[in-house]
Amino acid sequence: MESYQRRSPVSFTSRMAESVRRDGWEVALRYHDEGKGPFLIDLSHRPKWDIQDADLSGIRPMGIPVSEVPGECIFQNGFLLNRMNQTQAALWHLSGESPKMPREFLYTDVTDGYALLSVIGKEMFFIMEKISASDLSSPTKKPPFLIQGPVSQVPCQIVVLGENEGYFGLLIACVRGYAQSMTEAILDSGVEWGLRPAGENIFCNWLEPLSA
Amino acid sequence: MSLTITCPICGKRNGYEFRFGGEDRGPRPDEKGMSPQEWCDYVHNRANIAGVQKEWWCHRDGCGSWFTIRRDTVTNLEIEN
Amino acid sequence: MNRLTQLPTLRINPAKTLPFTYREKKYQGMSGDTVAVALYSNGVRIFSKSTRYHRPRGLYSLDGECGNCLMEVDGLPNIQAETSLLRGGMTINPQNIKSFEKDSGPDKVDPAGFDYQKFHKPYKMWPYFLKRIRNAAGLGVVSPSFRMKGLFDEQYLNAEVCVIGGGPAGILAALAAAEQGLRVILLEARPWLGGCSDYRSAEYTPGVALYSRARELAKAVEDTPNVRVFSHTFMTGLYADNHVTAFQIGAQGDHFNERYMEIRAESVIAATGCIERPLLFENNDLPGIMQASCAHRLARTYGLLPGERAIFSVGHDLGIEAAIDLSDLGLPILCVADCRPDVQDPRLIKELTERGIPFMPGWVVSKAEGGKSLEKVTLTTIEGIRHHAVECDTLVASADLTPAAGPLFMSGAKMEYDFHTGFFLPGQLPPKVHAAGRLIGLYDPFSIEASGHLAGLNAAKDCGASVDALLKTAQKEIGRLPGPARGSKWMLPPSVSLNRDIVEKIFICLDEDTTVKHIDQAYNMGFDTVELMKRFTGAGTGPGQGGISGHNLPLVISRYHSDSVMPTLPGTVRPPLVPSFLATYSGRSRDMVKRTPLHESGKAAGALFQRERVWKHARYFSDDFTCREEIENVRGNVGVTDVSALGKFRIFGPDAVNALQRVYVGNMSDIPVGKVRYSAMCNEDGRLIDLGVVTKRGEEDYYFTTTADRADSAMEWIRYHTRYDQWNFHIVNLTDAFAAINLAGPNSRELLRKITDADISGDAFPFMACRTFALRRETSRDSETSNVSDISAIPVRVMRLGFVGELSYEIHAPASLAESLWDLLMEAGRDFGIRPFGSEALDALRLEKGHVIIGRESETRTTLHDLGLGFLWDEEHAGISTVGVPPLKFTRYQTGRLRLVGFKTEDPSRAPRDGSIIVEKTIRGYVCTARYSFTLKEAIGLALVESRLAKKGTRLQIFEDGMKKDERLYATVVSTPFLRSVDG
Repeated sequence: MESYQRRSPVSFTSRMAESVRRDGWEVALRYHDEGKGPFLIDLSHRPKWDIQDADLSGIRPMGIPVSEVPGECIFQNGFLLNRMNQTQAALWHLSGESPKMPREFLYTDVTDGYALLSVIGKEMFFIMEKISASDLSSPTKKPPFLIQGPVSQVPCQIVVLGENEGYFGLLIACVRGYAQSMTEAILDSGVEWGLRPAGENIFCNWLEPLSA
Repeated sequence: MSLTITCPICGKRNGYEFRFGGEDRGPRPDEKGMSPQEWCDYVHNRANIAGVQKEWWCHRDGCGSWFTIRRDTVTNLEIEN
Repeated sequence: MNRLTQLPTLRINPAKTLPFTYREKKYQGMSGDTVAVALYSNGVRIFSKSTRYHRPRGLYSLDGECGNCLMEVDGLPNIQAETSLLRGGMTINPQNIKSFEKDSGPDKVDPAGFDYQKFHKPYKMWPYFLKRIRNAAGLGVVSPSFRMKGLFDEQYLNAEVCVIGGGPAGILAALAAAEQGLRVILLEARPWLGGCSDYRSAEYTPGVALYSRARELAKAVEDTPNVRVFSHTFMTGLYADNHVTAFQIGAQGDHFNERYMEIRAESVIAATGCIERPLLFENNDLPGIMQASCAHRLARTYGLLPGERAIFSVGHDLGIEAAIDLSDLGLPILCVADCRPDVQDPRLIKELTERGIPFMPGWVVSKAEGGKSLEKVTLTTIEGIRHHAVECDTLVASADLTPAAGPLFMSGAKMEYDFHTGFFLPGQLPPKVHAAGRLIGLYDPFSIEASGHLAGLNAAKDCGASVDALLKTAQKEIGRLPGPARGSKWMLPPSVSLNRDIVEKIFICLDEDTTVKHIDQAYNMGFDTVELMKRFTGAGTGPGQGGISGHNLPLVISRYHSDSVMPTLPGTVRPPLVPSFLATYSGRSRDMVKRTPLHESGKAAGALFQRERVWKHARYFSDDFTCREEIENVRGNVGVTDVSALGKFRIFGPDAVNALQRVYVGNMSDIPVGKVRYSAMCNEDGRLIDLGVVTKRGEEDYYFTTTADRADSAMEWIRYHTRYDQWNFHIVNLTDAFAAINLAGPNSRELLRKITDADISGDAFPFMACRTFALRRETSRDSETSNVSDISAIPVRVMRLGFVGELSYEIHAPASLAESLWDLLMEAGRDFGIRPFGSEALDALRLEKGHVIIGRESETRTTLHDLGLGFLWDEEHAGISTVGVPPLKFTRYQTGRLRLVGFKTEDPSRAPRDGSIIVEKTIRGYVCTARYSFTLKEAIGLALVESRLAKKGTRLQIFEDGMKKDERLYATVVSTPFLRSVDG
């Protein structure tokens, strides 16, 4: 019986306490000494699909309507659907059983193309403001929302997910090649706040109330 | 250093997020019968006015869109709508 | 020295002493002291000697408005001692003091701009003089091997309102804006809020001193959740669109030494208060002479009396207030002279009288005398009739206040001379910029607060808050409060007549040793405007950046223009307002580099990585940098290399072919499924900019590759050149989504056969074909995986291409499975003796095949034809609307171009260095790449040469950098490829 392992481009030096094997990925559910936050979680193994069509308004990927306005996001059934521009949207599957990508023309599987990291904590905005000039706490935007802009000089998709019991949550997607540099940049920025790697469990627990 | 440009998708951003695409000269001309000199002129020469011009920018560090803005080359400020 | 330790205004902790070293002797300071204060408290009076004339200089402003207190701290030069907090264990040294004993430098002060006029005729003598002048006049020393210690980072902030200045006006402004729910940022240069009120015991309201009010306001704003307060933070610049820059000095326990900040705010409020305008008189630079707020704060903030016998010569009420307070604190004051004959606050005069301090309205200091420091002062009436000399060790001298209007100048405000205050004030502020407090000339505490409140409301209105009613009330309030105070406008003592024989040593700029006499000399040479005067005499161009001379210079110059009533404006204010380290601006300097999906595999295999543009790439796999074994292994066996950096894209949609045809010069319309088309992209000059392959995935669905260097710009390029077409197509950048491995060598097919069921025979999988199949270990071919969530085989897209000239397969696989694929290939290839090879070996291998690398074998003008690649251009399908085709037409038969040729050197053992030039009497071309070929056992290379020399058999003369004038390397032009390749 043969099985090939998938590797995330992100590696932490923390010791893994609990993991699970999923579709070839070794997914870290929990690390030792995760602490009480802020947390940095690697979600690079989560499915990510690119959707492009001249007319997105008629599309309902996985049954979710695409927002009219670029920058708006819809979170439904574990899927985060980000409207990126006139003809493009990104669909990320954040929790639950991974679905199969529809074999349709307008979908491209870009799961491996992006590293996906999450920063969750009370100090999330303080950590981000040292590596990104984007206005993540803008009072005119309602989470979840998407900002396409640089983080530590690398173009990224940044999604401000929302807040749960004082913990703010954010997603950063950059192309896979920059994963290690980006991880180091975020960890370095978070040193003064005690940022530590954490497993998928913490992310899913935090995300759960937002799914309601 | 603080030129801001308004991307139609992402809103107002720091100019460094963008790549400059030159003054707007319309679609490529019909090159039938064009001489090398005329072609070179099209490729390399610009009006380069001192005043408001329409020009192309690409949001390289953001959404990647190509779009035009009007910028006053004398004040180096985008003309906002 | 005795310190006053019981004052409620102190910002030091007398209980906590800090040791430090100065000139190798040990001393103690107090926690909260600045370096300058700690030195002063230990009796230091001479802090430096001036740049040009080596005159002793002392504590003057306490805020770093001049370079008097620049010192070397812990090995770092030019540290501003007045704004740097003392840390225990610091080693402090003066910078340019050769002797403390000698009084002052040259007795005769050189004329204005003397170094512009002397020392450079004859010009060849200039370097000699330059060295000497630099040694004689300079500040601070840094060695070339110096490395900055400490942590520097950066912060990017967004807010609706940014307030610069944390005195009462700034605080009230911040509170007003915050009350409307807006995000507010407040910057304050001192380590605490409170501004001018922080240290003053004068009354705010009965029973409440100004310093109590200041502390109350500070607490209120610090407790306001939507105001972020940054203290010990210096604003450095204000740019278009209310973009503010600043830097913060880290406190003990902070994670940074200095932090650079960029703030974008909708609206900006400047409430930066005032500094002081110096009095101009003879020897006004002696140690012992200081500004009024310097003397006042030495006592009130730091518990130090400035001296033992003091004279005050002031021009504003704050100066008198300082005298009263300092007298109460124990400073013996011999008299208070005020250059204003009247207009003082009568209550202040009364308090002076009550304390028995002689008050002399209409008197001003005209001369100071002393050796190393102040010993005697001569006062004169403002008409110059009577004189009175007094011995003293401290002179508190100040002509008036002057607004710290740097932010307003930088905002582009139209500044004007205000006749009432004598200040340069904004006539008109640009939209969304506001000013408040002492900065606009106010002096009354209630006016100051009300103006702050008003500015905050105006800023809130800029941000869309509905505050019209509140604004009306605020404007009414300010209308009934006192306006700005009348300024003293005092300039020069009556003994000084411009345009006559002016006495020397009236310093208008301390940093550059510019005197009023210099101004006179310069004016008479024709430098009659502020901008010219500033540059020619140097006034205001030193570390203080006009803090001392900024207001006086235009006033003095205006005296020469007798026909004009209006004083000229001060010189242009440019950022940074406050100097800082280069390290602060460079911040964290993170190196963001890309790693391929095979990075870890390469590392485990012993790869030596090198930075190739944005990528960290495996260049060598051994210590042998010729890569001989790696090369021979590919030619004779099978090797594997990481080519994942190649650009990879999916392009699909009804107009995908049109888009491809717009940028590729090959025929894009008839690419059959299962084959790849090798094609080129050119720019509008016909220059080759990319080479890649295009393959068809399905109907209206294509996959294409680009060189690694073009991966980031390919999408931009295609979208740019189709921006007017309104075509329906979509591109997905898959560069990082797929890893790519080049399996190359005579045994590559055999190896591949072991790990796939697919038919990869030469007929089934010919050259330039593209196939998709799966790879797995041969032992598992018959078994099936029982677990659906496991990956039982690695799906790959394989193209038979020939970059290195052997049988080779370019295998594209999902990036997450790259390491598994590498392990699979290495395992399957073990019997063959498979070896990895890096980019250096790849370079040599492709060279043998005569393959070009863009940017190496091409430069800005090199077209497709110059490289012998004209066959890639399909003239029928890539017509004039394809980018690059018109110039290809024009240049195809053009003479005088550089052409790419292959060459072999006459001495087979020696390849010329890359970049060596090809010469006759002049340069005729250059060597692009040359290597010793292990396969051919001779040295080969590719060069761009003038077409005249491009014929086969031509002898080329090569000149390498470092050769003797007549030395040459000789080579012969040969046809390429050097090596007959396996595939077509």
